[in-house]
This record gives sequence, C-alpha cells and structure tokens, in this order.
Amino acid sequence: MPGVLRYNSFARKNKANIKKETGKINNKTKQNMEKEIILNALNLSKYYKYYKSVFDIKRDVIKAVDDITFEVFRNEIFAVVGETGCGKSTLAKLVAGLINKTSGDIYYDGELLDYKDKKKNFRKKIQIVFQDPYSSLNPKKKIYKIISYPAVKNNIIKKRDRLDFAASLLKNVGLSEEILHSYPYELSGGQRQRVGIARSLSVSPELLILDEPVSALDMSISAQVLNLLMDLQAHDKMSYIFITHDLKIVRHIADRVCVMYGGKIMEISPSQDFFKEPAHPYSNILYNSMLPYNFKKQLNFTGLNGKNAGSGLISKEKGIEKGCVYFKKCYASKEICEKNEPPLKDVGDNRMASCFFPFTHPGL
Amino acid sequence: MAYGGKTKTMNLEIKDLTVRLYPKKNAGRHINVVDSVDLYVNGGEIAAVVGESGSGKSFLGLSIMRLNPPDVSEVVSGSVKIKCPGEKEELDIMRLNPKNLPSVRGRLVSIVFQDPNTSLNPVIKIGEQITEAIFAHKKIGKPEAKEIAISYLNRMNIDGKARFNAYPHELSGGMRQRVMIAMAMVLNPCFLIADEPTTALDVTTSLQVLSLIEKIKLESNLGIIFITHDLSIAKNISDKIYVFYAGQVMECGKTEEIMDNPLHPYTVSLINSVPSLPADYMPKQKLFTIPGYLTKDDFTEGKCRFYSRCFKRDNNCLKNIPLNEISRGMFARCIKV
Repeated sequence: MPGVLRYNSFARKNKANIKKETGKINNKTKQNMEKEIILNALNLSKYYKYYKSVFDIKRDVIKAVDDITFEVFRNEIFAVVGETGCGKSTLAKLVAGLINKTSGDIYYDGELLDYKDKKKNFRKKIQIVFQDPYSSLNPKKKIYKIISYPAVKNNIIKKRDRLDFAASLLKNVGLSEEILHSYPYELSGGQRQRVGIARSLSVSPELLILDEPVSALDMSISAQVLNLLMDLQAHDKMSYIFITHDLKIVRHIADRVCVMYGGKIMEISPSQDFFKEPAHPYSNILYNSMLPYNFKKQLNFTGLNGKNAGSGLISKEKGIEKGCVYFKKCYASKEICEKNEPPLKDVGDNRMASCFFPFTHPGL
Repeated sequence: MAYGGKTKTMNLEIKDLTVRLYPKKNAGRHINVVDSVDLYVNGGEIAAVVGESGSGKSFLGLSIMRLNPPDVSEVVSGSVKIKCPGEKEELDIMRLNPKNLPSVRGRLVSIVFQDPNTSLNPVIKIGEQITEAIFAHKKIGKPEAKEIAISYLNRMNIDGKARFNAYPHELSGGMRQRVMIAMAMVLNPCFLIADEPTTALDVTTSLQVLSLIEKIKLESNLGIIFITHDLSIAKNISDKIYVFYAGQVMECGKTEEIMDNPLHPYTVSLINSVPSLPADYMPKQKLFTIPGYLTKDDFTEGKCRFYSRCFKRDNNCLKNIPLNEISRGMFARCIKV
C-alpha cells in the first residue's frame, strides 16, 4: 500500500520533532509522578483509504483514529467509550500491533513500541482479549493447546509441560480442569471468554487490552467475567485498556474514562468526576442516554431526539476538514466550533476535554 | 397470567402455551422450550419478557405468530387468543387453519426482529420491502401504497421521500431498525412483538428506538410484548414484567413492584448481578454472580428449573413447582418466598 508507506516515511522524518514533544509531555505529567506511565500514545493516527467504486480514481479517507494523544498509568483501568465507528476498536488494534499505524508513536515504558523488535518482545507484555468469544478461538484445537500456545511460542514453558501449565491458568480464571481436552464448541459463552482471558494471561502480560469483553455475554455471566477481571487486576497489578460502550460497567470498574467520537478523543476524566459531571457535550449525551437502573421511570423519551442525539455512523460525516468533529450534532456549538478545532486541553482536576465550552449542560 | 384488569375491546391472552422442541437426528430427549406460559397484554400496554439467552423467550415470540420452525418444534397445548376492535370475534391463533395465518400475521400481530442488518433483504429497496407487506393484504395501486409507506417512514423520524428508494446498506443501524418497525406497523396491527429490538444498536441510537416504540404505543394504542435481556430497558419501558427462565415464567407482576422487591431467587440474583446506579453507589465492589450457566438439563421435569444455580435451594425444591400468587398481582414460581 503506497499511501501507508508515504505516511510512514512522513512519520520517520518528523520523529525528531515528536521526541521533543515527548519531553514536554513528560514534564507536564511529572506533577502527578506517583503514577507511573506504562503506555503513552503520541499523535497516533490510522487512516483507511478506499475507492468509492471500482471505476473511481479518487480515493476517500476514513480517519478511524485521528491524531490522538493519551497515556495509561500502571495498575489502572483505562476505559475507552464511544459509539460504533468512533475508532475505539481501531485504537485497540493499533496498541496491540495488529494493524499498522499511519502516523504517530506509541511508547511503552518509555521505549518505542515496535513489535518487530525481538529483543524487547513486546508481545509478552501486551496482550489482547477479543470481543467475540465464538470466533476468537480456533475450533479445531483443544483448550489446553489454545491456552498454552503463546507461552510455548515465547519459550516460557517447554512443550511437554503445557498440560499442567494450562490447568493452572484455568484455575486462575475459575474454570475446572475437566475442559482441558474439550473443543471450544463444547463450552458456553462465558467459559469461552474466560478461555480467551486465560490465553492472554499465559505470558503474564503487564497490559491487557480488553475489546468489549462482556458485550457478547449474558448479564449473569458478564458479572462473573467482570469479577474475574477485577480480581486479576488487583492481584497481579495489571493495567487494562477496557473498551466498551456500556457506561454502567465503566462506572463500576474504571479508574479513568476516555470518550471518543469520530476518531478523536473528546474527554479524558477520572471515573468519579466523569459520573458526577461530564465535561464534554458529547459525554453528557452519552451519560444521559444511559438508562437509569435504580431510579424511578424518569427517562425523558423526547429530550434526546433531533439534533442532540448522536445518530448514524460517524464515518458518513466526511467533509469536516476543519473544526470540531462533533460540531454538527452539538447543542453547545457556536461559530468558533465550525472554524477551529478545539484542542484536548486541561479543564481542571486532572481532566482533559477537547471543547471550547466545557461543562455546558442544557436542560435535557 | 391475568394480572390486572382486562380491557374488553383489545387484548392478547396466552394461556398454558407449551411448545416442544425436538432435537435433530433424534439425539437425546425432547424439551419443552416454552412450558405452560400464561401471558396477558392489553392495548396500550408493554409487557416485557426478560431472560438470558437460551431461556426460550425468542421462541415464545415466534410461536405466538406460529413462526416456530415446524420441522423441529410443535405446539403441544395452549391458546393465543386475540381480540381486536376491528374484528367481530375472538381469534385463537393456535387453532387457526395454516391457510389463514398470513391474513393474521402483519395485520393483527406483527414482529420486529433483533438484528436489522440480517432481517432486511440487502438487494431490495426499503420502499419496496415495505409496500410488499401492503400489497399482500390490500388491493390498492402502487402510488397509494407508496404514499402509505412514506407516511409510515415519516412517523419513524425518517425522511420518507428521500429514503424510499434507498437500499439497506445506505442506512445506519438505528435507521434500519426503524425501517423494520415501519414495516411491522404499516398495516396498523393491534399487537407488536419486539424481539430484542435494541440489542444490536448503540446506546444513543437504542434510546431513539425505545422512545419511538413508546411513541407509537401511545399514538395507536398498541399492545407490545417486548422481549429483552436488559433489565434496565425493561424497567424503563414496560408496564409489567415476565421473568423467563428455562421456558417457564419464574415471576411476573407490575414493573415497579418486581424491581423494588423481587421475590424469586432468580430475579433477585439478576438484579444484583448488574452494575447499578444508585446515588450512594460504591464502584469496584464484587458483583453478585449466579454460578454456572443455563444448560439443557435445566429443562427437565420434576424439579425447580433454577435448582442447579439457586442460592436458596434444598430438597423440597425437587418437585414441579406451580406459579403461586404471592400478593395481589405478583406471581412467583418458588416455594421459598
């Protein structure tokens, strides 16, 4: 793909500049130095190019992830929320190294994240759990082979030890040894998702990327998986990048919340503050579309209709060259939002929001 | 279960409905995937059927319209009686001649399926798919049918004129689901079965679809059976709730009463296992879990179907348990309450 190559060379040329910027950001975050940064993404972008039709010469660009900067601290659950098409799964794949980035850099523990570097072996440190437990396990392999494969590949264990190794991992995720010799189709959805988690734990990673780990599961089983994840995180001092669209789960387990829209980060806030008062208008819409559970029937069914609701796929709204991506649907938008793009800036209390008018709430 | 008052003009009553599911190739025994279910909906009312996957709630929705696959399943007993304002007498769908079924489907009872991406035909324009339903029931010309279709699309907050000739892939997920609802509503049915209409959608779009369902319920005095696995949706949209487990109604009653003080251990566990949002809520606590998962063995007779996962079980539970009226309008299938 020539387009991607060109972007990569562009990135290489600018590496020097980017490194200077890293220094700046590190200084900034030195204020809360008690938290150690484990992952640091700088101006990360991923553009997909496609032809509109077979005969078309012009290519369109979808900015799945567009120039985003964030950091994840050690021993923290960093939740990424947003609707379909906002780029949250692309972000997960970029960090896991499953797709090539267009530009920007990811730093892991201060080192440039490069999965081709065999000495550093980042695959051992970063693992991913996929959304769909039905399609992410090889149907022709037995469970113990599936679980122990990454460890064998990384020379953590010998091939003859893999049965015992898989048994101990299954115990960690709360499954019995009976299923060691079964095939994935013999297991239920919750069991399969645990097998997926066990597989990613087999190389004892420091950072786990969870791409909607419970959205394919039933509510009684999703509680089991969430408990397991919280246990593991507290016990093994792991960090999670937890991707979801369910804000109730975010509120339950996350330390910090990152809201994405149209490939951009709208807001990064500590979870407690976020659920007290969302800063960005889009976060506010998301927060208000969360159905209250223990409250009385107070949902205003008409309040979110029309302009305020974020409907439709985001990739459809192309043509926004400059200005805020959320401009068209925003209730707080003014002239300045159409012309200038709001940068992700500090809005107090360790919170960041990319909005000119944060904390504006209409009567929804 | 006839909870609350019956309105005389418009109601749908399911009595003692049992649907048997035969395993393919005679492997293993048959199971009652819907087991003596009583359900009751009036016009202008939403009854939510809540349960986890595999509990038979979608099968209930299909068998109400007799859409259950005939090669593997069979309605053993029971009746589904429908009374509509336009009809002269009560209709029992289960006793109906299969020839007459198409005249009932869509006209009196309609269904909205879970996944709008797979339930629309990708190579036919949505306008055509909607008018197809009209032509099947009414003898009218194309222009009139188009007008009706456009007016219904407009009711669903879709620009009917502009989108009439659109293909499904040109619409977003929420729009497709709204087209599905327009298709179901175009013959002005009395009852709508909504089989997880918002599961495949985003939070913001799901709220739009829910508000739309609420709107059409108020506008055309529709009776809705809302099948879902999400308790918070059921709580916010429904008037009464039927909690479903392994083919049986475990508990039913008014929504507020069930949500405020659930009786059956299964309902209690379900409500506790979802992260909730009260004001004094503590994050990072352990969630309540139900051990194990729903299996085929749970469908066997001669014990409480929730026995293997229940936290209140003892030897008294190893018998068939009837649905008892605990207090006025509240029913639970448990001997421990």
